[in-house]
Amino acid sequence: MPALLILFVVTIAPSLFLVATSLTPLDLSRPATWWDFRDPLVNYRSLLRDDLFASSVWVQVYLSVATVGFQLLAGLVIAVILNRRTRFLEAVRAIFVIPMVLPPVVVAIIWKVLFTPDVSVINWALGLVHLPQPSWLTDPHLALWTIIIADVWEWFPFTMLMILAALQMMPDEPLEAARIDGAGAWQTFFYVVLPLLRPVIVLAALFRLIESVKAFPLIFIMTSGGPGVTTQPTNYYAYLQGFSYNFIGYSSAISVIVLAFSFLLSWLIIRMAGTRMQLD
Amino acid sequence: MTSPSTRPRPRRRGRWLDLLLIAVILLLVGIAMFPFLWIVQMSLKTQLEAFTMPPKLIFLPTFENYVSLLQDNSFLHTFANSTLASTITVVLSMVIGVPAAYVLSRSQTKADSSIALWVLTTRMAPPIAFAIPFFLIFQKIGLIDTIQGLVLVYLTFNLSLVMWMMRTFFDGLPLSLEEAAWIDGANIPQTFLRIALPLSVPGLATTAIFCFLLAWNDFFFALILTRSATMTAPVGIVNFMNYEGWAWGKITAGSVLIMLPVVAFSLLVRKYLIRGLTAGAIKG
Repeated sequence: MPALLILFVVTIAPSLFLVATSLTPLDLSRPATWWDFRDPLVNYRSLLRDDLFASSVWVQVYLSVATVGFQLLAGLVIAVILNRRTRFLEAVRAIFVIPMVLPPVVVAIIWKVLFTPDVSVINWALGLVHLPQPSWLTDPHLALWTIIIADVWEWFPFTMLMILAALQMMPDEPLEAARIDGAGAWQTFFYVVLPLLRPVIVLAALFRLIESVKAFPLIFIMTSGGPGVTTQPTNYYAYLQGFSYNFIGYSSAISVIVLAFSFLLSWLIIRMAGTRMQLD
Repeated sequence: MTSPSTRPRPRRRGRWLDLLLIAVILLLVGIAMFPFLWIVQMSLKTQLEAFTMPPKLIFLPTFENYVSLLQDNSFLHTFANSTLASTITVVLSMVIGVPAAYVLSRSQTKADSSIALWVLTTRMAPPIAFAIPFFLIFQKIGLIDTIQGLVLVYLTFNLSLVMWMMRTFFDGLPLSLEEAAWIDGANIPQTFLRIALPLSVPGLATTAIFCFLLAWNDFFFALILTRSATMTAPVGIVNFMNYEGWAWGKITAGSVLIMLPVVAFSLLVRKYLIRGLTAGAIKG
């Protein structure tokens, strides 16, 4: 019971507070707007007409789907390669985890350095083979992809670790059965291993989808949402509205929408984890 | 895999495959580590060398960037703030969370799901959704730009993690020693302090380090809830990007200093780290 009480205080109470502020036109530069509930839906009506909000949702979806897709692919490939119990591979595994524990600010700085034309070793290498040397961070078609690359690098260890854990707990029988039936390595992988991994892949994807709003430091440092609004996902837009323009009420309304989606996805995770526990 | 008569051939093929696999793994390690190593080597170059293309791979390392950074009082100040906030967070979340985890583990209550839910929600909720209420309340009660305020926010994330990680650890301890202590007349706090804690040193170390990483790595909350007085290093380093162009030397050296404790600690507890990194996602 006390655990539930703490749970309430630290998670549910702030959420309720957030919903309450989202129903007010709270503007930090105008103190009178505190607890002004005369027109509770004003922010939500504005949201429907706000093109910047719509574009931020599109950027968020693009960013989330692309990062999660590539993280799953990279995580799966590397997990399959590393799935042997040798000392060498265990050491290698520890190295692969490094990007994930680095401070996100440092990850952002690393990629800013790699993508800034003047100092970019990537551009130098492209020049060597006579390829164009784009100004990555200020090109509207490339800026979002620099964020995606940095995010995939930062978080592929997570999908890798989850898939690796599943691979190591995988029962031997189905693999042996496939072998006896004469399946080759690729066939075994696609028809036996991959279906067995499906639950953990879906779970990892949901986790990363929810956490993909945490790309904030990357965007803040690498592109500041630009050029224009091409790298401005929803949570970054909420940050700008609330903390650059002081429109906390409006920012809260955007955050409530983001929060609702996170809850929806979390609920899916809990349901999935629940069914998995029953299977065990 | 094969019948005995055909064994030698596949074995040789197996050796080639092993070599190929090692080559692929080393290549992947190289690709994955390149961005990380790149910034380290850059921090050891002079401003001029850092800009030189083709990049010099063999050079005389210089610590001039680090020296100028350590003479920069404002950076040292942010570094001290980070250390202070993270350390207090670790101490408090351990002092509160570890006994709570022990009680949960031994009382056999089914609080598992509610802690799991707590870990999950603090981990899942978009940071901005927490930042707005905390910011507004902190403004009212004067906790903006204070270490206490920052620690309070970090505690909400760390307490659940401590309870989650330590509970699984206590569950794994053999009960027989504690039962023997009870028979000898020890009460529960005594058993906890004299028997359970000394046996849990690896778990305690891992959990503490993990708490430290979470607090130390934070950027978003520090950005919103601190100003100049308690600005932390991850926020402070961003300032090097705003003044007259980019102070690349200071930025790269600062990045290395900020990630140094994190990388050192992670390698120290790498065996247990994985459990913490996937907390809430994988059972135990």
